[in-house]
Amino acid sequence: MRKRVTSVLLGAASVVVFLFSVFPVYWMVNTSLQPNNEIRGSVPNFVPQTLTTANYETVLFEPARAQFLPALGNSLLVTVSTVVIALVFAFLASLAVTRYRFKSRKTFIFAILIIQMIPAEAMIVSTYRVLDGWNLLNTIAGLTLVYVATVLPFTIWTLRGFVNGVPVELEESAMIDGCSRTGAFWRITFPLLAPGLVATGVFGFIQAWNEFLLALVVNSRPEMMTLPVWLRTFQVATGTTNWAAIMAGSTLMAIPVIVFFLLVQGRMTSGLVSGAVKG
Amino acid sequence: MTSTLLVREHESGGVQELPPDEPRRSRPRGRFTPLLLLVPACLILIAIIGWPLVQLFVMSFQEFGRAQVFGMPAPFVGFENYQRVLGDPQFWAVLGRSILFCLANVVTAMTLGTLIALLMNRVNRFFKVLVSVGLLLAWAMPALTATIVWGWMFDTQYGVVNYLLEAVSGQDFTNHSWLIDPFSFFVVATIIVTWGAVPFVAFTIYAGLTQVPGEVLEASQLDGAGAWQRFRLIVFPYLRSIFVVVIILQVIWDLRVFTQIFALQGIGGIKEQTSTLGVYIYQTSIGGGDYGTGGAIAVIMVLLMVAISVFYVRRSLKEEEQ
Amino acid sequence: MRKRTLTVTALGVTAALALAGCASGGNSSGDSGGGDTADIRVWLNGTDTPDAAREYLKTTFEEQNPGSTLTIEEQAWTGLVDKLTTNLSGSDSPDVVEVGNTQAAAFTSAGAFLDLTDDYEALGGDDLLPGFVEAGSYDGQFYAAPYYSGARLVFYKKDLLANAGLTVPTTLDEYVSNGIALAQANPGVSGIYFPGQDWYNALPYIWEAGGEIAVQDGDTWTSTFSSPDSIAGLEQVQEVMTQASVAPKDGNETDPQVPYCEGAIANLSAPSWVKWSILAPADADAPGCPDQEANFGVYALPGADGGAAQVFAGGSNIAVSANSAHPELAKAALEIMLSDDYQTILGENGLVPAKLSLAGTLGTDEVATAIAEAAANAKLTPASPKWADVEASGALQDFFVSIAQGGDVTELAKALDEKIDGILNS
Repeated sequence: MRKRVTSVLLGAASVVVFLFSVFPVYWMVNTSLQPNNEIRGSVPNFVPQTLTTANYETVLFEPARAQFLPALGNSLLVTVSTVVIALVFAFLASLAVTRYRFKSRKTFIFAILIIQMIPAEAMIVSTYRVLDGWNLLNTIAGLTLVYVATVLPFTIWTLRGFVNGVPVELEESAMIDGCSRTGAFWRITFPLLAPGLVATGVFGFIQAWNEFLLALVVNSRPEMMTLPVWLRTFQVATGTTNWAAIMAGSTLMAIPVIVFFLLVQGRMTSGLVSGAVKG
Repeated sequence: MTSTLLVREHESGGVQELPPDEPRRSRPRGRFTPLLLLVPACLILIAIIGWPLVQLFVMSFQEFGRAQVFGMPAPFVGFENYQRVLGDPQFWAVLGRSILFCLANVVTAMTLGTLIALLMNRVNRFFKVLVSVGLLLAWAMPALTATIVWGWMFDTQYGVVNYLLEAVSGQDFTNHSWLIDPFSFFVVATIIVTWGAVPFVAFTIYAGLTQVPGEVLEASQLDGAGAWQRFRLIVFPYLRSIFVVVIILQVIWDLRVFTQIFALQGIGGIKEQTSTLGVYIYQTSIGGGDYGTGGAIAVIMVLLMVAISVFYVRRSLKEEEQ
Repeated sequence: MRKRTLTVTALGVTAALALAGCASGGNSSGDSGGGDTADIRVWLNGTDTPDAAREYLKTTFEEQNPGSTLTIEEQAWTGLVDKLTTNLSGSDSPDVVEVGNTQAAAFTSAGAFLDLTDDYEALGGDDLLPGFVEAGSYDGQFYAAPYYSGARLVFYKKDLLANAGLTVPTTLDEYVSNGIALAQANPGVSGIYFPGQDWYNALPYIWEAGGEIAVQDGDTWTSTFSSPDSIAGLEQVQEVMTQASVAPKDGNETDPQVPYCEGAIANLSAPSWVKWSILAPADADAPGCPDQEANFGVYALPGADGGAAQVFAGGSNIAVSANSAHPELAKAALEIMLSDDYQTILGENGLVPAKLSLAGTLGTDEVATAIAEAAANAKLTPASPKWADVEASGALQDFFVSIAQGGDVTELAKALDEKIDGILNS
């Protein structure tokens, strides 16, 4: 009897958690599917009374303001490059700090922890000048470089735990079988790290996909805009008048992340945990 | 009694799993290889973080305004910027606010996240999937998008929250402004930040729970001690290192919170009473054109964070040392 | 050089076609390296510049400068100062930028703009709006030309006024008492719509009471929100905010057409172009309520002693970046934007043109008359290079939100003065 009550309560709690998590997402989609003049009423529509795709058309195709597709392309390019480069660099660096002993090892680990605490807002002007010095303003490469630097410390820090989790013996036995050390790293350790790479890659992905302050300043040409800058510009340009279109834009911006998360979801935290437990 | 013993055994067993000396011994003492492996990461960090950081540090001792951005020489002023910041009551207000906000958010997110993780561990498959899907959607929402959506839900005139509250409580919430009162502003901000942070905490701790051996969990199900006692004494020791990592990350992220506060201030509220450190630095340096002072605040903020995390850093470095 | 542009503009006044011919000839034989062609980037802010004007600018420029192109990049007003600070200082700087008249001083004083002193006469000389010329000048040099100005008008619902037995007010006090009476007679309706963050709308009350925002004495500025005259004005602001307005106390001034069209506003003090937002088609992205046009009235805010009040003259300046890679072409674009034809397009779209002689382009209807009246008495914010920082700090919005909440005016004003003094004299 008591068990029954408990399980009903737990089920109810699950439903509450679900509703609380999902409601804002639902509300965003719900608003985006209604005509703009229907979303402001004394009684909100919990389901669209008139279903329309007009807001999405405004977002995607309105010639005056629609930079959405180019911005999507820029965002995808920057994000994917950031994740790939950061993972490769971080893999190499975490090999160095886990598999070798050298003098400045501790300094390095300490440094990457401190770097994560620096407020990015304070460095905008300096960063801008560095990129300007290399003629990297308004380029995908410039933005990618900054994002790689931003996510690298966290990526190294987390990946370190995963590399620690791969037994050295595996590499050693591969070397006995005739692999070079480099070969052993690439053929044995790297594949075994897959869950760890996914877990850390997700964070790089979120960071690069969502960053907007730097992108706003560094890539000022409209054709170089990324999605968050586009969304913000769109929001400011339409003021608060066009909530429906803003919600349509928000939905479009969230979709790629949701897809990516669904693809990799099973691996995300298992990796982090094994890193934390064993590291 | 038995169960505590069990934990201790396992705790030490966990350490034995990876004897501290063994990997160290087999660690090759390469001279150049490790440095070579670090080259790509170091190059990019020095160029993109290190060098601007040096500039920022220098700037914090200069009078550096908009004219200097356009090429005027920047005179050195010693510690004047620091004096100004430390003597400004607004800075202390912002600092106190940021720390309180950070604490509130870390505690809320950790508590809710842990409870949800425990919940997921107890319910059947259907509810587990239900909760996971919900959390995953919340997690995947970009911070800027989430803030805009929540801002719309809390809208003074047309927000669904006011409507629901009025319908449920019967009280008058017409045109109730959520952002005008600083406390209420931070309640909304906490909801937004927590909403985004809980999935990470819950998933990580849930994944940690799955690694706790079955018999230990079973033992923890046995009646006798209270639920909290059981969790604290039996389950928690397994999750300790995960908790430390997650808390450190939450502290860093919440103390640096920018997007949510910045975007929320754009929707409503009084800036002076709702700025946190990140936003304050932005307002001072970029908004106000005083990069020297902004740099000084940033340096102070980093020192503060180092101080907060020094305990953890020392501990983890000691572990590395073993 | 100076003589050349002067001739060009003189011709331009009489015939746009002639202007086109001369300017292109002038440019290709110019002293800056002959047939320099490039893509000129022009930053325009928000949607204020009408599409017709953009079109005209692009085609005219490309006709006059064969081989060169002109790209208009629309920027958001929000965060503009940040973006300008970084981008104007970089090597990939935009060539021509629009900047809010109250923000101009921050950049003219920093050396961000190209010196246009030699082109002053060619661009319009003393025909240019004097207040805006002052805003765009620093240390006796001329950097940023006036672009357009806006005037604040009062839009009202004729039926509400008539039902309450009231007429269009002739003094500021009558305007306020009308507003309070309307709010009492119509629950849920703002007699005067006044969201808390809308500090531009609070300025006339201070000025009409004899107060000032800040006064300059030599090199130092003193903020004077807490002077007795200013306090009197601020108390009137608080009276309006608390008794005549039901607008959100922390709301901002964007999109007043929404509550207006819902019938929640009796009097709305707003920039002249809000008329077009109110009359926008009902199925537009930002829908208005064209069906209420017959009920839609307008007048200039009355002053304390009758006549038009001193209202805030919002608007823009336009300048060439000091880091522009093609300053001559950029100047050519700027000249087009100040040409009579271009400015006429602005005037026809409800913006006050940058030249006094073109005031007639606004038309002769009710709105145009009100604009002319209001513009004649318009006033600017303090001409300090740091004023933009005061605005960017958000202190003014915070201050008026607190006033709207019923805070102690004298105390708040003193605190604000201290803060502004700190910024202006830092």
